[in-house]
Amino acid sequence: MTANFNIASSLQESFSAHPDNEALVAGAERYTYRTLRENVRRLAGAIRPCLTHGRVGIAASRSAEACIGILATAWAGGTYVPINLKSPEARLIELFERLELDALIVDWAGEKLLTPEVEKAAPGKIFRRGADRGAFRTLEAEIDAPHENDADGPAHVGPDHLAYIEFTSGTTGKPKGVMVPTGAVESYLDAMTAWYDFGPDDRAAETCDITFDLSVHNMLTTWKAGATLHVLRPLDMVVPARFIRAHGITTWLSVPSVVTMARKTGGLAPDSLPSLRISLFCGEPLPVETAEAWSRAAPNSIVDNIYGPTEATIACLRQPWTEGGLSTRERGIVAIGRPYPGMEARIVDAGGRTVADGERGEIALAGAQLARGYFGQPELTAERFPVIDDKRWYLTGDRGYRDADGVFHHLGRLDNQIKLHGHRIELEEIDMGLRDAAETDTAAAVAWPMANGTAEGVVGFYVPGERNGDRIRESLRKILPPHMVPGRIQSIDAMPLNANGKIDRNALTALLQQENSGSAAAS
Amino acid sequence: MTSMNIQSVRETIADLLAERGQGTEFRDDESLFDSGRLDSIAAVNVLLALETEFGVDLSDPDFDVSRIDSLDEIKALLGATTS
Repeated sequence: MTANFNIASSLQESFSAHPDNEALVAGAERYTYRTLRENVRRLAGAIRPCLTHGRVGIAASRSAEACIGILATAWAGGTYVPINLKSPEARLIELFERLELDALIVDWAGEKLLTPEVEKAAPGKIFRRGADRGAFRTLEAEIDAPHENDADGPAHVGPDHLAYIEFTSGTTGKPKGVMVPTGAVESYLDAMTAWYDFGPDDRAAETCDITFDLSVHNMLTTWKAGATLHVLRPLDMVVPARFIRAHGITTWLSVPSVVTMARKTGGLAPDSLPSLRISLFCGEPLPVETAEAWSRAAPNSIVDNIYGPTEATIACLRQPWTEGGLSTRERGIVAIGRPYPGMEARIVDAGGRTVADGERGEIALAGAQLARGYFGQPELTAERFPVIDDKRWYLTGDRGYRDADGVFHHLGRLDNQIKLHGHRIELEEIDMGLRDAAETDTAAAVAWPMANGTAEGVVGFYVPGERNGDRIRESLRKILPPHMVPGRIQSIDAMPLNANGKIDRNALTALLQQENSGSAAAS
Repeated sequence: MTSMNIQSVRETIADLLAERGQGTEFRDDESLFDSGRLDSIAAVNVLLALETEFGVDLSDPDFDVSRIDSLDEIKALLGATTS
């Protein structure tokens, strides 16, 4: 029999090796590998008969149910699809119609989304929290404990089986569903476990929602090692240092803005996080200052920066920082380093040709970790995953260069895709919403202000149409998820245009800069 | 604690819900953060309000942030720390 690429294999293997080790701690709920596996088998048994194409939605906050739902979907041989809890009703309905899910798993936060209209568009089979801890029920009945003849291991799947579909913001206003095969996940885990000795005594932290693929790293590296995953609740995210101390966390992966949060709430004193031994950052540029502050707080930990888009499975370049850390000086950020084994990176020009070292261009990626493409969007997939020199590449849209030593450096977004508080946002999508909300033809959003190359907010400009200011924000909230609604919405008499007749976002940013320096001079 | 101060915390929470496009109604025993209604940015705002209104010391190692998930919990916390 060939190897099983099922992502739930980690649970099965660690259950065999350490059945009574703790696998998962979420709030007051604690599961050993034995009890986690029992709950997963129980739900998987109910999911299996529902599967046709295999897609199962999971609408859940940071909960044990989210983890059980993911593992049970995989165990049954399905593909899990995280659903953003903050999606407005219309977006949810559209998403359900596109995905034609076989089933939906909700925890108590996810259950709140099920208005009568949403439920009409949702799949017929919905699994909700059951009476017992970690158990589920359908509308008809509680799901019983598995029978003796239930499959003892996770369904056998090959490397091309889709492990999950993660949705990211899309340019046409349509979110893109990145389809990630199990073989890509396996390749990622192989690279990480060769570099880092995650072991059964480790206590890892889940710092991400399941809609963000860093959560896949946290879950799978932990369960593969037979270690314990401690889930941070939203309130814990505010004072992460406290959480690390309270649970004696040893391994950590988060976005760098969590560190900013920790510093803001006064929780990052030198030597205050002695339990940590592996700290990784990913998802946005890592300011050198942030890496240094974390290193001082966690003197026993290595601090490394990893980089990669969801389309290349979690991360695929790595820059060790503690030992021989390299920075991208013009940005004050840690470099993104070199490709993982099995991955290649290049800097290409607009024609897909590799540029010389030191020259700036777009970061392109190829290799075992590439996603299959975007769900239901073959044209977009062909555009973003072109074949160059007989090899399939992913064009990241990130700007960067490779230095003479072969180290890659990240310079920001090539287009107008930005990261705001860990969310990936296409400014064009906000434009679109703002146009609808203001009932105008012309609107444009810019990232503002910026700090260390990272967006800290969004300002939306619009040429006044039918609707007045207060009502624009109100209607925009019905169109866009909260993290995409601009902090400031500003009317403008005419939109600045560039030579191609396109809205000139740089001119808008310049306007804000001017205003800023003007007010600074006045004060 | 005065009822006026609790009223201002209630208003802070209502404002944060409104900014996130949600109804401003919430029950005193309703989960605000674990339920996903409010995010961590909102939590910072609530914490800052507690600091300003009640002088809660956020860096105090005994201050347990997981105890502000509902208004009832906030009241209990403040009752305990201000008595």
